[in-house]
Amino acid sequence: MKCSKDEALKLYESMVVLRAVDDRIVPLKLKDLVMDGFHPYVGEEAVAVGVCANLNPDDYVISTHRPQGHALAKGASMQAIFAEMLGRMGGPSNGLGGPMQWVDVENNFFCGSIVGSGVSYATGFALAAQKEGNGRIAACFFGDGASNTGSFHEGMNLASLWKLPVLYICENNQYGEAMPVKDFVSVPRISERAAGYGIRGLTVDGMDVLAVAEAVAEAVDSIRKGDGPVLIETVTYRYRGHYLGDPDNYRSKEEIEQWRKKDPIDRLGAQLIERWKASEQELSALRERIEKDAQAAEAWALEQPKATLEYAVDNVIVPLAGRSA
Amino acid sequence: MASDRLITFSDAIREALDEEIARDERVYIMGEDVGVWGNLFGCSRGLLDKYGKDRVKDTPISEAAIAGCGVGSAAAGLRPVVEIMYIDFISIAMDQIVNHAARWHQLSGGKVTVPVTIRTQQGVGFRNSSQHSQTLESWFVNVPGLIVVTPATPYDVKGLLKSAIRNENPVIFIEHKAVYRNKGHVPAEEYLIPLAEADVKRPGRDLTIVANSWMVLHALAAAEQLAEEGIDCEVVDPRTLYPLDTETIVASVRKTGRCLVVNEAPAEAGFSAEVAAVVGERCFGDLKAPVRRLTGRRTGIPYDKELERMVVPGVQEVLREARSLAGR
Repeated sequence: MKCSKDEALKLYESMVVLRAVDDRIVPLKLKDLVMDGFHPYVGEEAVAVGVCANLNPDDYVISTHRPQGHALAKGASMQAIFAEMLGRMGGPSNGLGGPMQWVDVENNFFCGSIVGSGVSYATGFALAAQKEGNGRIAACFFGDGASNTGSFHEGMNLASLWKLPVLYICENNQYGEAMPVKDFVSVPRISERAAGYGIRGLTVDGMDVLAVAEAVAEAVDSIRKGDGPVLIETVTYRYRGHYLGDPDNYRSKEEIEQWRKKDPIDRLGAQLIERWKASEQELSALRERIEKDAQAAEAWALEQPKATLEYAVDNVIVPLAGRSA
Repeated sequence: MASDRLITFSDAIREALDEEIARDERVYIMGEDVGVWGNLFGCSRGLLDKYGKDRVKDTPISEAAIAGCGVGSAAAGLRPVVEIMYIDFISIAMDQIVNHAARWHQLSGGKVTVPVTIRTQQGVGFRNSSQHSQTLESWFVNVPGLIVVTPATPYDVKGLLKSAIRNENPVIFIEHKAVYRNKGHVPAEEYLIPLAEADVKRPGRDLTIVANSWMVLHALAAAEQLAEEGIDCEVVDPRTLYPLDTETIVASVRKTGRCLVVNEAPAEAGFSAEVAAVVGERCFGDLKAPVRRLTGRRTGIPYDKELERMVVPGVQEVLREARSLAGR
């Protein structure tokens, strides 16, 4: 795809940010400062970054139980993500949500830990955007497993009927928890399911950020024009377990190694050197800078207080006028 | 009152929807057959012609998507009134309501509101049997983040629905299929009824009957007859099940010293249990007899006309329990 060196460097930096944060959460999890709700994103960075590079700040993102990559790519700060993972004030939900469910108003970002739900409620954000008529879209991420839920079917059918501005991004990371995709999805490619809703579906290499970004750019363009939803299946892989510490007995070390050879960060790094004449020193300096930023962000988050009980039971409802309840 | 009219429960709902769609451009209604049909009971008849497809949206039979679209669009600034045709179908939509609509205000630190009104109807009365006749209101009362309303009269349904639509919270607005054709006094002038305020439908000295939805009408009919027998019943309709106006209930029971709770759902952890618990906690020293509950039987709703009537409380059962509680 057409891409300047600066643009490629931005994609590279964004992926490095995602990985630096994920890698730093691992030891926090091992110390029980972050709990099992943490679902590592390492390996899938090209998807979040390739998609969000094409979104505007006022576009909505509907994410999953594995939201940290999407959130960072959409604009959340490293500080905020560390704080939410640790359950501290300063996270998008001030630590009440934890690793897999939060609402980040400033970034128009919603995520949650019920697989498939977002495909239905994304239609609402898209309907509101359509009524506004100002070109906003809803980008709805979900995993391979979500494509078997009733919500997926109901939401996609409705979005197609009403030509709602939704971009569906399926992150096919090869496993639904411990089960391989071929054992639970009835078609070879999840993108084929788009045909059942009369919308366009395509499959792209989710380990190649440039391929993801190119496909998404074209899809977003048509969605903003009012042509209705598009489903993009990204073929990707999570290097770590479904959650950190899962038995990981459902795949071989060789398989993981094969996928690591396609690493999206290494791949774009090599392209930067070959195609855009970046130097190895330039890239390693970038990585070191991000590492320091991540370290500082983590240290900041560890200093933040936990929510008080008073805060934890507040904001349950908007108080009704004149009543104590 | 010159402006006073007798209109049906369905007409009262239609007026409320009409007025709120006209009043606020963010309001729209959506659901299965709300448009061309105008709802099974005529509650939105004529609104499609009046406001067009952007404001009155017929949907596929997709309860998760209907609820989800409502929830998402509410968080994005609209004020949807979505309809789940029978409350039994809401099981398909529970995830959207319980896991998302009810959670986002808190998870956003109070910054996001989800002002969606979910209209549905429950209960027996049409021989719809066990998958179209259940009383499921208490499911929602037990979920933090939701408001639950069960109006019984045309006057109440209009004023409460308008308040629900204007409320910033997700509101589960549960009508009863047996009352849509009932007529009642409804002023021509606009009015609102605040949520979370009970209504003393009939004042009395001897015994408090707390009833909601269709059961209010049974309680009132029974109270008329009991008055002739010298038992003066006070009938309290909470109208909003959460937040519950406990003060009105407690004040009534402190006055009468006797409390009968009438509810169409099974007793176990049903709304009747909540009322009985509140009365037990707050009025123990005032009670002349233990709180009594009259509830639906713990069974699927049968198809047969007589059996359907026999598994939920009716006027005769209210009379029997009230007399017994009053020591007659």
